[in-house]
Amino acid sequence: MSSSKSNKIVKLESSDNKTFEVEEAVAVQSETLKNMVDDGCANDTIPLPNVNGKILEMVLGWCKKHVDETVTGDELNKYEADFLDLDQADLYGLLMAANFLNVKGLLDRVLQRVADMIKGKKPEEIRRIFNIKNDFTPEEEEEIRLENAWAFD
Amino acid sequence: MTSGDEVGSNSRKPVPKPEMATGQTRAKSLDDLPPALLATIMAKLDVASIFSAASTCTAFRACASQLLSFLPTIHLLDIAPSMDLLRPLLGPPNPYLRSLKVDCDRLNDSAIELLLRPPAHELCLLNCVDFSGKLLSEVGRRCRDLRSLCLGSVAEKRGRAIHISDLEELLIGCTQLEALILMFDVSSLIGHNFARVWPLASEKLTSIEIGYISSVAVTEMLSPNLGPHQSPNHIRPSILPSIQKLCLSVDCITDTMVSTISEGLASLTHLDLRDAPLMEPGIALDLTNFGLQQINQYGRLKHLSLVRRQEFRITYFRRVNDLGVLLMAEKCTNMESIYLGGFCRVTDTGFRTILHSCSRLYKLRVFQGTQLTDLVFHDISATSLTLTHVSLIFCNRLTNLAVMNLVSNKDLRVLDLRNCKNLGNEALRAIGILPQLKILLLDNTDITDVGLSYLRQGVMCSIVTLSIRGCKRLTDKCISALFDGSHKTELRELDLSDIPNLSDKGVLLLAKSRVPFSELRMRCCPLIGDTALMALASMLVDEGRWLGNSLRLLDLYDCGGITQLAFRWLKKPHFPSLRWLGVTGNVNRNLVDALARSRPFLHVECHGEELGADATDQWDCSDSSYVHDYDEVHDYDEVDELEQWLLEGEGELVDEEMGDAELVE
Repeated sequence: MSSSKSNKIVKLESSDNKTFEVEEAVAVQSETLKNMVDDGCANDTIPLPNVNGKILEMVLGWCKKHVDETVTGDELNKYEADFLDLDQADLYGLLMAANFLNVKGLLDRVLQRVADMIKGKKPEEIRRIFNIKNDFTPEEEEEIRLENAWAFD
Repeated sequence: MTSGDEVGSNSRKPVPKPEMATGQTRAKSLDDLPPALLATIMAKLDVASIFSAASTCTAFRACASQLLSFLPTIHLLDIAPSMDLLRPLLGPPNPYLRSLKVDCDRLNDSAIELLLRPPAHELCLLNCVDFSGKLLSEVGRRCRDLRSLCLGSVAEKRGRAIHISDLEELLIGCTQLEALILMFDVSSLIGHNFARVWPLASEKLTSIEIGYISSVAVTEMLSPNLGPHQSPNHIRPSILPSIQKLCLSVDCITDTMVSTISEGLASLTHLDLRDAPLMEPGIALDLTNFGLQQINQYGRLKHLSLVRRQEFRITYFRRVNDLGVLLMAEKCTNMESIYLGGFCRVTDTGFRTILHSCSRLYKLRVFQGTQLTDLVFHDISATSLTLTHVSLIFCNRLTNLAVMNLVSNKDLRVLDLRNCKNLGNEALRAIGILPQLKILLLDNTDITDVGLSYLRQGVMCSIVTLSIRGCKRLTDKCISALFDGSHKTELRELDLSDIPNLSDKGVLLLAKSRVPFSELRMRCCPLIGDTALMALASMLVDEGRWLGNSLRLLDLYDCGGITQLAFRWLKKPHFPSLRWLGVTGNVNRNLVDALARSRPFLHVECHGEELGADATDQWDCSDSSYVHDYDEVHDYDEVDELEQWLLEGEGELVDEEMGDAELVE
């Protein structure tokens, strides 16, 4: 088979055994997958045990959008803004997936999004939004309150 | 199986039981993230947010403490840190620190070691009132890589002097310095070879801003002295030849100073001069048409600002009229931004010439355009101008017609029409269609509630800052005119001060609008009281979030109905983000003190001073500087007096002098 990139398909399997098929051009938006393709490991289905189907679908959607030449700059901006409007569980999954798959631009956008969600908030709010467990001892808690009160008082 | 773009589930493998799905069985949270990712997230935060996040759990706390050794940017301008606070922040060695900005109100020379970091490229230390001149010399010794330096209010506490040697060490040491801002009075340095230190400055110095300097000192500073051994044919070395930006506050702008600047600085692109004369300037010591004509000799000027302030007496540029402006405009066809303040003798002819000669103009600012009328903008749509920032302050002859013509500039981002008494609702109708407006200032104009409703559909979607201070005809209905709850708004800063008929009911409506304001000013409103404050404090925006959460600045100075009860709503946990508070202090002294103690990082003003951090770029025509020049704009009693004076024709004496100031070709 010729190595014309526009026709080749890459098969991916998520942790919950969903299979996705995408064009190679879309898949190589992920540096990790690109390396596999280049090394010739992409002929069979590639298993991705740490990315579930829902997240993988999202990531592939992102990659596709960025490969599509008919999408305008404005449309892309809007897509990216809407894309990141997620709850914290999905955000976490997306973060891990983007990190593992090393998708250009996506990881940084998600990290920025999380940072924006933290900015200017008090600790209680941050805990609430991201479902963080307060694992300080009461002594540590008091220490921190004294030290850091200036930041959020 | 389909080929190509299809994405879908495959039915070949058996559907796994949920327990077998790896990695996603329990809700994961941010504190489970690998440290590297966590560090990347936290590195994107400002310092305050980093510490807030550090207070949530042990993982974040560990990350934050490590981060301090890598943080490139530390900005602490919101609060004035003490040494105890500063030590853990700046103590750990951090070779990556590039930009440091600190409000040094609570610090002194003992903090120099912590603050002055060798790798820093950008250093901004404000309110250094308790430091001595040693600060300058130490900067020169320690921060050799500095590109940009801003020092505010150094040694302003009595008894702490700056010596010329301090400045010398600074200039010699910082060989890479590009921008220097000395936001204080350098008079104590004058007379001690002040002029001789400037040639020592780095060749890369392109920008100088000085908080206060006499015009004589400026002239000396920029005039190269010919030593006794140099022949008359010797080419005069130019002082500070690379300077592109010069911003000075002087005692009195004179022809001599302007000429020296214009002749000496061949690379000048940005000139900002402001004065506030203590005495009426005599003919030899003032700006005249001749001086204006000298401006921009090398043709590079893009930004020009000439402002006479009435800080000490009522005065204006009496010796400049249309002729001067015409001659200046001839040379300034590349001008992009012009600010003229106190040019009361310039008429429509002069202003029109500017608009028609400077085709690249995008910022126009006129303060006290006493003779400026609608005619100036009559055919503005025929020019190719795309104005983005327009300020016409105290231009009392302007009517709605001028605004209707102005809005042909669809790219307008800032529109400042403060104290144009004759502007009314029709102007608002015109403004309502501007698609990109961010800042709209309408203080003391003749608008009514109905007029504001014209803004709701269009421009309210983009405006971030709105001021309707002093618009006496407004009532509570103006709030419902502006906010109907259905349109999403970007508005964050609102000034409703000085509106006699604005009451608690209006503020209740404001709270109900659920707009997350960051700045709210309601000074001098006699009908606003405790209920208003309660509404702002307790209105819920959504689950767990109160409206008051986003408020950083709240000004309730001289509000008639505020009593001691109100202070209950100012205590924690209400208004958690509040950094600036204005209240009337004399009645409630004890309560104010108690509040200040319980909230040590809250700036409380009790004597009517305007709130808000001093903008570090008070010179730049940046958007923020438009709103914070309250002193200039709100002493309007004096301006009325001035206008009266002008109209009564005090000019005979001055005309004689004008005749003397002949133009030299």
